[in-house]
Amino acid sequence: MSHPKTPHVVDARYMEPPGPFEATMEMLDTLKDGEKMLLLLFREPHPLYRVLRQNGHSYETELLPDGTFEILITR
Amino acid sequence: MNSSKAVLSFENAPPFAAPLRFFLTAPLFAVLAGLLVMIEGPALFASRWTPGALAATHLLTVGFMLQVMLGALIQILPVVAGADLPRPLALARAVHVGLSGGGLLLVVGFWFGQPWALEGGGLLLGGTASLFLVAMLFALRGVPSTSPTIRGLKFALLGLAFVVALGLLMALALAEGWALPLPLLADLHAGWGLGGWAGILLAAMAYVVVPMFQLTPAYPVRPSWWFPLAVLVALLGWSCGVVFEQAWLVRLSQLLAAIAGLAFAGLTLRLQAQRRRAKADTTYRYWQLGLSSSIAALLMLAIAALWPAASELPGWTIAFGILIVVGGFLPFIIGMLYKIVPFLAWMHLQNYGATRVMAPPMPKLLPDVEINRQMQAYGVAFVLLLAAVLLPDWLGRLAGLAFAVANGGLAWVLYRAVGRYRQAWLDMTLKLAIKKR
Repeated sequence: MSHPKTPHVVDARYMEPPGPFEATMEMLDTLKDGEKMLLLLFREPHPLYRVLRQNGHSYETELLPDGTFEILITR
Repeated sequence: MNSSKAVLSFENAPPFAAPLRFFLTAPLFAVLAGLLVMIEGPALFASRWTPGALAATHLLTVGFMLQVMLGALIQILPVVAGADLPRPLALARAVHVGLSGGGLLLVVGFWFGQPWALEGGGLLLGGTASLFLVAMLFALRGVPSTSPTIRGLKFALLGLAFVVALGLLMALALAEGWALPLPLLADLHAGWGLGGWAGILLAAMAYVVVPMFQLTPAYPVRPSWWFPLAVLVALLGWSCGVVFEQAWLVRLSQLLAAIAGLAFAGLTLRLQAQRRRAKADTTYRYWQLGLSSSIAALLMLAIAALWPAASELPGWTIAFGILIVVGGFLPFIIGMLYKIVPFLAWMHLQNYGATRVMAPPMPKLLPDVEINRQMQAYGVAFVLLLAAVLLPDWLGRLAGLAFAVANGGLAWVLYRAVGRYRQAWLDMTLKLAIKKR
């Protein structure tokens, strides 16, 4: 799946926890420093935010009208 | 650090003991409510103002609902709002003792007509809620409302402050004999409690847990922002109507609250119809019961707002109370407990075992067969309670017994799950020790 913001997308909208966290971490591992990935989710993943900050990754979140949170993560 | 080696950060998650004490105590209050109905029998169904009806109502609203809601919030705040409570275990201990003791005192005050117990229970509950609210405000300071859940949570805390303040005022007025319009204030107290606190909190949590546990689409953003605001505006209008003695404003506000609630329930049913989980599990069924019963209760609220004489019909208010509390909020809460308790147990075991020893899967900690049986018992009790409104002499005591049994079943199921959790912890300790050698 690709997206205008980045070709690296994890669509976790219909995944049960901890699937979204694991899929995000696996994709982050495949990226080079400075590359971006997009996580799609139906909730704001505050525990994931904490891990991203601890690992030095930055992220921006946008809430879409259908209730999808788009989290653009930079490795 | 290699990202894939990262695990979900647990150091900020409160210990299991923090929320668990609330989850294990709440069913005992519901058992007491059932026993009280059984002892009082038909007399309890005569009026909402009987000592037994007031005591049973608060056993459920304070002893069960408030108990689980505060415990769950202590657990879930870091997950849904990214906010950390200071010393969550100490807070949980204090709130649990205050809530259980205050709830029991209040019930003693109502049932036996003891002013000292009413006053003591009201003050203890007021103090406990204040402590909880201060801790929440401290944790949420500077946390922006980036999602409808966070804003809903903040509104719900405002609702909690109102319902507790009104409750304390009425407890003191009853104990001291102050001249206040108690029936009007009691309706407003119930409105803030069920709508402003429990209703908004339920919606704020539903935005997260319904898509997550039932694999439905998300709640669309616009109604998610609007629902808590509409309920809050309705309750502020209702309060102004009581203060300034404007009956039309009270009725208009009740109608607005009913419409907002119906819209939320209708939207949730629509989302559930689009779920991707083929199997209808117990949580889904409990939520279906909760939504159907809430819709019936909210229609009654709307009818009474448009045609006030309806609320004078025999059994009207008691039936409304059974529909909204026993058929509505309790099923929502029990449905969520059946997801939260095994998930927390599994999460703490998984964290304990790290990557060396695997935790048992969630269905082993809380088997479907046990919770299905409990749900069937609960459904029977709910139907009997509703039927007892029409046939109190025949069914009143039986309905109380059935409700006590169903909630005893809930306690049994949850205590068994905790027993399996403790056994799994011991087994894993042994396996970890062997692996270390």
